[in-house]
Amino acid sequence: MTGDTTFSHIGKPLLRREDRRFLTGRGRYLDDIVLPGTLHVCFVRSPHAHARIIGIDAEEARALPGVIGVFTGRDLAEWTAPLRLAPPIEGLHPVEMTTLPIHKVRFHGDPVACVVAADRYIAEDAAELVSVDYEVLDAVVSADAALSQGAVLVDDSLPDNLVSHQSFSSGDVAARRAEADRTVEAKFQLHRHTHVPLETRGCMADWDAGREHLTMHIGTQVPHPLRSQLAARLRLEETAVTVISPDVGGGFGQKIALYREELTVAALSRHLRRPVRWREDRLENLTSASHARETLCRTRTSVRADGRILGLELELTEDFGAYCFYPANYMARVIAMILTGPYRISDYAFDVKVVLTNKCGNGPMRAPMAITSWVMDGTIDAVARELGLDPLEVRRINALRQQDLPFTMPTGEVLEDVTPLETLEAAAKAIDVEDFRARQAQAREQGRYLGLGICTVVESTTYGSEFYKAAGIPGSGHEAAWVRIEPSGAVNASVGLMGTGQGYETPLAQAVAEGLGVPPEVVKVHMGNTDIAPYGMGSRGGRGATAGGGTLFLCAQKAQKHVLEIAVGMLNLNDARGLRLKDGIVERMIDGAWVDTGISLADVARRAYLDPTALPEGVSPGLDISYTYDPPPMTYSNATHVCEVEVEADTGRVSIARYIVAEDCGTVLNPLVVRGQQQGAVAMGLSGALFEEVVYDESGQNLTATLADYLVATSCELPSIEIIEMNTPNKRTPAGIKGMAEGGIMGAIGSIANAVNDALEPFGVALEKLPLTPQSLRALMREKDQVTETVTEVRTGKE
Amino acid sequence: MTTAEAKSVSIVVNDETYDLMLDPRRLLSDVLREDLHLTGTHVGCEHGVCGACTILIDGRPARACLTFAVQMEGHEVTTIEAVSDGAELTPLQQALHQEHGLQCGFCTAGIIMTFEAYLQENPDPSEAEIRDVLSGNLCRCTGYQNIVSAVSKAAAVMRERGRE
Repeated sequence: MTGDTTFSHIGKPLLRREDRRFLTGRGRYLDDIVLPGTLHVCFVRSPHAHARIIGIDAEEARALPGVIGVFTGRDLAEWTAPLRLAPPIEGLHPVEMTTLPIHKVRFHGDPVACVVAADRYIAEDAAELVSVDYEVLDAVVSADAALSQGAVLVDDSLPDNLVSHQSFSSGDVAARRAEADRTVEAKFQLHRHTHVPLETRGCMADWDAGREHLTMHIGTQVPHPLRSQLAARLRLEETAVTVISPDVGGGFGQKIALYREELTVAALSRHLRRPVRWREDRLENLTSASHARETLCRTRTSVRADGRILGLELELTEDFGAYCFYPANYMARVIAMILTGPYRISDYAFDVKVVLTNKCGNGPMRAPMAITSWVMDGTIDAVARELGLDPLEVRRINALRQQDLPFTMPTGEVLEDVTPLETLEAAAKAIDVEDFRARQAQAREQGRYLGLGICTVVESTTYGSEFYKAAGIPGSGHEAAWVRIEPSGAVNASVGLMGTGQGYETPLAQAVAEGLGVPPEVVKVHMGNTDIAPYGMGSRGGRGATAGGGTLFLCAQKAQKHVLEIAVGMLNLNDARGLRLKDGIVERMIDGAWVDTGISLADVARRAYLDPTALPEGVSPGLDISYTYDPPPMTYSNATHVCEVEVEADTGRVSIARYIVAEDCGTVLNPLVVRGQQQGAVAMGLSGALFEEVVYDESGQNLTATLADYLVATSCELPSIEIIEMNTPNKRTPAGIKGMAEGGIMGAIGSIANAVNDALEPFGVALEKLPLTPQSLRALMREKDQVTETVTEVRTGKE
Repeated sequence: MTTAEAKSVSIVVNDETYDLMLDPRRLLSDVLREDLHLTGTHVGCEHGVCGACTILIDGRPARACLTFAVQMEGHEVTTIEAVSDGAELTPLQQALHQEHGLQCGFCTAGIIMTFEAYLQENPDPSEAEIRDVLSGNLCRCTGYQNIVSAVSKAAAVMRERGRE
């Protein structure tokens, strides 16, 4: 089960290269880079959810020794272009925002002014002295309120708060409803999250007034797209901006957009002709960076009495917050598009609404489509409950089988080389469902409530350019790489990805080593500097392995070809047939066996660089190879999660007894790194489902502004995760790579919610809402307690 | 609000004595990072929850972000830079490497400081004990599983070495 055994380097669990510097305190993160004369900023932020800015008085702040200046939205509007988002998508309103708000603030934490000072302490002192006069407006703090008649407008340029609305239908859901034995309705409400990278946002802008060039030091997932944004918003040529990403302390989707604070810092560096830096504090990160999720889904499922799904209808509403850093349909669309995932469903319709509210704006957070698998597998459980069927059997009867592949989903997405039924069976076998049911029955007799949750995930991983085109979103899914064999035979390589902790340096070196025919140790992969790396689309979703690793692999294969062409001349052969590069040595096939020719990669490199007149005719000097690659429209991985929980009836506490994932993510570059991603994703999903929640009060005040309020799971709350590896290669991608790292979130949310529902079955209740806090579960159980008490009273009365 | 007068402080960090003139409100984490250029200590929340800035004060783990540097007069501070000389990793560092107990690395120094101290006094901890101690350090990448196994492995290696 360890994948294609024909690989020499791909698939080996090599230990990570970046570890040593992190373990010894010698990593280099943004704050570790110091430039002489750097100024520090602190943002003045709105204490109100919604208010007009009447005036800003910064005299006292400016008078404080060490303060360089205080700047507002009006200043920034002179130096920068606004962000306009207007992709040609039906039902999506174009929106525009200035670099800092000028007329009104739209959420608690919205930046209204920027103080620049000699150090951070002074900047923070001065920020407190800036006095902003506000006219407070009514705040819209829920999707329902946003859509209600006469609701206050969050964005005054729009006709209402419904910023995006799309509908879709395939097949005939009305006909399926009419012929169904039953229609089952279910509701799923996923709360507001935020990313919480351990390293908050921040940047250091360094304007070189002589060269008229901006160098932006910033932890980012997408160096080149960020450079394009920065240049455009600063009205600079792309040749005048360099983005350099150092080591990054986590991203999870929060470090993709060009944020207003970062653009402000860049503009101020140019204006003041000094390096300027910003380090976001945790309060700002929790309240003002980016939020995610807060999605309500309702499904209506037409089913046969045996549980076979005939038709599925989805209604989705996302509370998007106050600002669009991404097209508002961006995340919700993917949920609707891949909902049917592991199941044979052809008649499907959706209605997707995205609304603006007075909250921090939404963005993609590890698994932008996080809710998807909970909605689908939760729907399956609801069907099983209503019909009195075994939930595992309802999954089996609907699951995609190998003979159904390739399968075109009702939305047009094509699934191939996936194994949802196989992961389901593997996970069910591992947990031994029959044995669990026996233990569950026994426990219930003792007043203990065990539950088993199953969730099968089909994860969209690599988005190719054709996908973006079909979605009407400008952008590309391609990736770019170069491989350079230096005169010494050392191998440098680069790609447009930028890691935020995944551990790219080793697996990507393995991809290059495999394609080129050298040991991974001699390969060094350079990322994060836009002057060095080729223009690629960066790291987002699960594209790193397929787009990044795949492009490097193909580029390295091309480089090997070039090396062998030179070797042909050195060996006085006619062509490269029967030659290969293996472990840095040119080998030749003689009588069915590979034989060392005595020529090393260093020998070839020396000739390529230092003796080019000796090269075969038509072979160009040097060994500098570039390659770009556009993946298929979409690649998919799949997995099944099973989770065993116990819910304490008295307290509502959920504890996880066992957690198993059977995952098929194709060929893996490095199983050690992949396992780390699987464990980490499940942990983040469970943490979100159990504890994390951004809470706004009825006036739009954010009540979760510290890590003592926004609760991230600690080591005491998370289980050890057992992983069953499956590796069905994707036939369309280089080396069969599929990608992964977000599906764990999807499966964790679904499996734990389903498990808690299973535990609560004796109470006759089903949850519709996360997080699974003790309070919310006790409230659910109390509904049942009241019923029981009434029953008891009646009985007592009779006696 | 205004800056108080700078105070003269003598601090021992990683066995070296530093005589500094410090604004009394400056955090130990900032002084370590900015004045002493010991950037291995990371600041993740500045309110004592995440544990990324954990250092040792007189051998015991403490939050550098909740400590004023001027409080360190007469105390010895140890940071991640002094844990190994760079040539050879400690058993804990080595185990974290082998068990893939770190991803982005931002929380790692704080975790190492916590357990370098803990394992000195608790050579044979159970998984539950390790998880209990680790709960003072947030990690957003790993799910903790590999950190727990690394600490357990390091403890075994250290016990073995102790016997030799």
